[in-house]
Amino acid sequence: MGNSNAEIAASGRVSAPDLRGGAPQLTRLQKIGNSRHLGLYLMAPAFLFVVLFFVAPVLLTGVFGFTNMSTATGISGGAYLANQSSMRALRDKHDFGELADQINRVVFTIDEAGLEAAAQAGASAATLKELNAKFFGQSFGKRRDVERAIKTLDNRPSSTRAIKAISKHFERSVFNIRFDSADDLLAALNKFGISLDPQQQAAVIDVTYTGWVFTTDNFKRMISLPDTRTTLYNTLFYVFTTLILFNVGFALVLAISTHYMDAAPAGFFRSVWLLPRITPPVLYVLMWKWLAWDTGFISAVLGPFGIAPKNWMLDSPTNAWTFIILINGMVGASMGMLIFASAIKAIPTSLFYASEVDGATRAQQIRHIILPQLRFPILFITSYQTLSLLTSFEFILLATEGGPGGSTEVWALSTYFKALNNYAGSLEYGYGAALALVLVVVGVAMSILYLKLFDFKTLTAPPKIE
Amino acid sequence: MTGNYRKWPMILFLGILTAPIILMYFYLFVDTVTNSPPGSMIPNEWTAEHWRFLFTTIPGRPSIWTATLNTLLFATTTTSIVLVVSSAAGYALSRLNMPGRSLFLGGVLVLHAFPTVTLLIAIFLILQMVGLYNTLIGVILVKTALELPFGIWIMKGFYDTVPWEIEMAGLQDGATRFQVWTKLVLPQVKPAIMALGIFSFLAGWSEFILPLVLAPDNNVQVLSVYLAGLISDDTNFDMAMFKSVGVFYVLPVIILFTFFQSKLMNIYSGGNKG
Amino acid sequence: MRILLDNFTKKFGTLTVIDQMDLEIHSGEMIALLGGSGCGKSTTLFSICGIHKINGGRILFGDKDVTNITSQERNVGVVFQSFALYPHMTVEQNIGFPLKLRKESASEVKRKVDEIAEMVHIEALIHRRPGELSGGQQQRVALARALVRRPDVLLLDEPLANLDATLRLEMRSEIRRIQQETGITAVLVTHDQVEAMSMCDRIAIMDAGKIVQISEPREMYNNPVSDFVAGFLGSPPIAFLQGRITDGIFVEPSTGTKMPVNADIAKRANGGEVRVGIRPEFFQPGAGAAIKGRVSFIESQGRETLYNVTLPDGNILRSIQGSQSSARIGDEVEWGVDSSQMLVFGRDGMRL
Repeated sequence: MGNSNAEIAASGRVSAPDLRGGAPQLTRLQKIGNSRHLGLYLMAPAFLFVVLFFVAPVLLTGVFGFTNMSTATGISGGAYLANQSSMRALRDKHDFGELADQINRVVFTIDEAGLEAAAQAGASAATLKELNAKFFGQSFGKRRDVERAIKTLDNRPSSTRAIKAISKHFERSVFNIRFDSADDLLAALNKFGISLDPQQQAAVIDVTYTGWVFTTDNFKRMISLPDTRTTLYNTLFYVFTTLILFNVGFALVLAISTHYMDAAPAGFFRSVWLLPRITPPVLYVLMWKWLAWDTGFISAVLGPFGIAPKNWMLDSPTNAWTFIILINGMVGASMGMLIFASAIKAIPTSLFYASEVDGATRAQQIRHIILPQLRFPILFITSYQTLSLLTSFEFILLATEGGPGGSTEVWALSTYFKALNNYAGSLEYGYGAALALVLVVVGVAMSILYLKLFDFKTLTAPPKIE
Repeated sequence: MTGNYRKWPMILFLGILTAPIILMYFYLFVDTVTNSPPGSMIPNEWTAEHWRFLFTTIPGRPSIWTATLNTLLFATTTTSIVLVVSSAAGYALSRLNMPGRSLFLGGVLVLHAFPTVTLLIAIFLILQMVGLYNTLIGVILVKTALELPFGIWIMKGFYDTVPWEIEMAGLQDGATRFQVWTKLVLPQVKPAIMALGIFSFLAGWSEFILPLVLAPDNNVQVLSVYLAGLISDDTNFDMAMFKSVGVFYVLPVIILFTFFQSKLMNIYSGGNKG
Repeated sequence: MRILLDNFTKKFGTLTVIDQMDLEIHSGEMIALLGGSGCGKSTTLFSICGIHKINGGRILFGDKDVTNITSQERNVGVVFQSFALYPHMTVEQNIGFPLKLRKESASEVKRKVDEIAEMVHIEALIHRRPGELSGGQQQRVALARALVRRPDVLLLDEPLANLDATLRLEMRSEIRRIQQETGITAVLVTHDQVEAMSMCDRIAIMDAGKIVQISEPREMYNNPVSDFVAGFLGSPPIAFLQGRITDGIFVEPSTGTKMPVNADIAKRANGGEVRVGIRPEFFQPGAGAAIKGRVSFIESQGRETLYNVTLPDGNILRSIQGSQSSARIGDEVEWGVDSSQMLVFGRDGMRL
């Protein structure tokens, strides 16, 4: 069987049809098209995307949250650098004050590089030749010592200034030099006659490293900062006010009121209320800015009543919040509107007729016929929109940038400002990731809750072809 | 709906609430071709000057045509990849026996609701590490990935409505599972592919945060970032021109929305935005 | 082609749907799998065509073991309840699809499609799409598509369930005609005993995953092996009375009517409790032992009239008579039971 299949696959054609019947044999390609693994082949690209852009980022957010990564440390490995602050740390943190002084000290070494540099600078060849012959390889602890050595030469320069100029080229220090690896740094120190015991080596490596390291400081900082609490309260206020007023409340108003209209006006209103959702956010917020600007619509309309023009969106936290909630709510209401409207449409017409024959007023019909049918859709919208409001910051960023004075800064926006964009230009990736990690945890928890709202069993009913 | 209640109170009520939106969109278009005297909202002259950005590049900004091309590239590429990958994966999840199927399904469902912006920092750092920061490819891949769970979910839902018997008949007729998919099932879900395609295109066209963070440079800038850049530049404030750029930017959206409104209504009710 | 199910077992998870079934279908015959919903008849059909993988036993087509080969390799034609026509293809493309998959030449495909279309009488429709066809026409297309590549077996899954009453009658004879013309081995799955009896050479009646009886229709009607089979076949259905057989005579408990049974059955009943089944055509005025009761329901079926006669203890006997009969609801009647045609069942429901 295997043999004949291979032959057919090789000849690349399906066996000739047998007119009297008899099963056709399959090519190898058809076998793959039929195999149990077809599902895996079809899933593979999606799986790759999910791993690269969901699983990896979630895990890495977890990792980055426990680092001090920032623009200062860079994102790849750092360098090793002995400078003022690292030497201070060596003295204070590891109690190697003497060693720090030693590293800080400048030495003068007569070497190839120095000679070459001096020659380039125009020192006389004879002087350098003699210097090379008499002192090559020697180190001097002080500038005065090396100058004295130069003065002993037969071909010494005539002026003290020239001697100083030559000596400068032999000045050697590890100070303020970036080394790519710890070994390079230690080798350089060794060259200057500073030898370290293992304990000292570890201390030096620790304090001179400029890259990022793992730390739990982000979370300590998050808990201790008063800003965190403000942001948290802002977030809760923003999410629940928008959700209740618009995403659920106003969505219900839209769905129910259009239900009591003819098809044409109902369609018109639903289309208009979809406009905020399909308009690109940048333009949508621009229209609100036009409304609120000091030469904008509100100011122009109120001008004749003696009210001074001002930027209505940013003049007070209350106004800022009003705009933020309106901007978000008008987009959010449309999703609820569509879902509630289709749920109302699913109510049998006979129920409406029956209640009207029974003498129900419109309010009673809404209360007793419509609302009970919307219980599940409301639950669905609430859970779904809570999550998306919690993590959305696009509109706030575009409208108020968290202002005035940070009064409309929500958690997601503050994450963005900390790690990706701020005026100071020092981006704290680590701290931002720690803030984002909080949202990730909340997001995962709520997504699982959301999953429970669906009847997962029926969604995963086994395929009917085995 | 039924004839027992008066309709005009509802229409009046909703009309008043809807007026501000209509007003905003009305002035969006009017302001791009007119001038108004200071302090007034009533235009007194026609003008084309607000559209000068089409012919002259604004200092410090990329040409509007570069940005348009980038946006088009971004939106169409994202859409194509989303369509191909989610129609394959959606089919597998809807119809095929495979190990870990319910795990995939649960995963897609969770990701569909999952707040993707929380991953932005990690994605930003990943792109920097692999050298795709400030490239269109990088931001396209990211946008595609973030659209996928929704796309897969929608496609799975549509595949679920194709009768099993069609597939069984196909197998009996001698088709492989792969042929059943491409020749028999895909043609049945054409409307779904169409709707998802339009949805993805609009989502790509409107996307702001991802290009802002991942590809902000002039040569890879898309229209949303371009427009946001204009607006935030305090030294050069010109509301009428901003609106003109905005109208230029939103035109394809309005056109698609007008033609495919009913399809989009369907898909937005399963939507994933704000 | 002969089909053999040998010790065939099918489970869904832990639930055993078919338990060790044996069934032989002769070459060229049309057999019905008849039973109520959930009896396993569709599962059997889907296992024969390979959509279900079986959990035990073997399936043989002729002498070839097809247990472990795929649907595509089995060469089985199936007509589904919903017809499962491909909505995006024309009738011609639908029928030609199996041939196209085999990479047959366009002219060959056209020739075969035309030939089969003529056979099922849809020549005029081949450029339409399924959505533009009536139920009966769709059914014909589905048949043509199943038959066009000359399958070894034709499987029909409730093919008439989606048709209205008159079409059902027409398609019943059409399917039978086509099956006989092609001489193909066919399996019909149905819950409708009239369909099974009118269309098939043999009927396999199923209950709870087992074949209860397999016989020719007439034989099964006359000689059911159990009260289940007797109750399933016949319309209007058979009526049952409970009682005992003593000295070769069954005594109806509420009226005391005595009905003699043959000695053989009497011996097997051995004085124990029995159920006797009386078909409506054997409960007639002036036939055999007269039994008294009151007419409680009359249903006119045009040519014939069905009467329900309620006995004093509430049991009901049914009688079907020519329309000349004049009994009215509430009338006291005394009609006779042809006791030689009575079907007698033991306590376990098996025929005595």
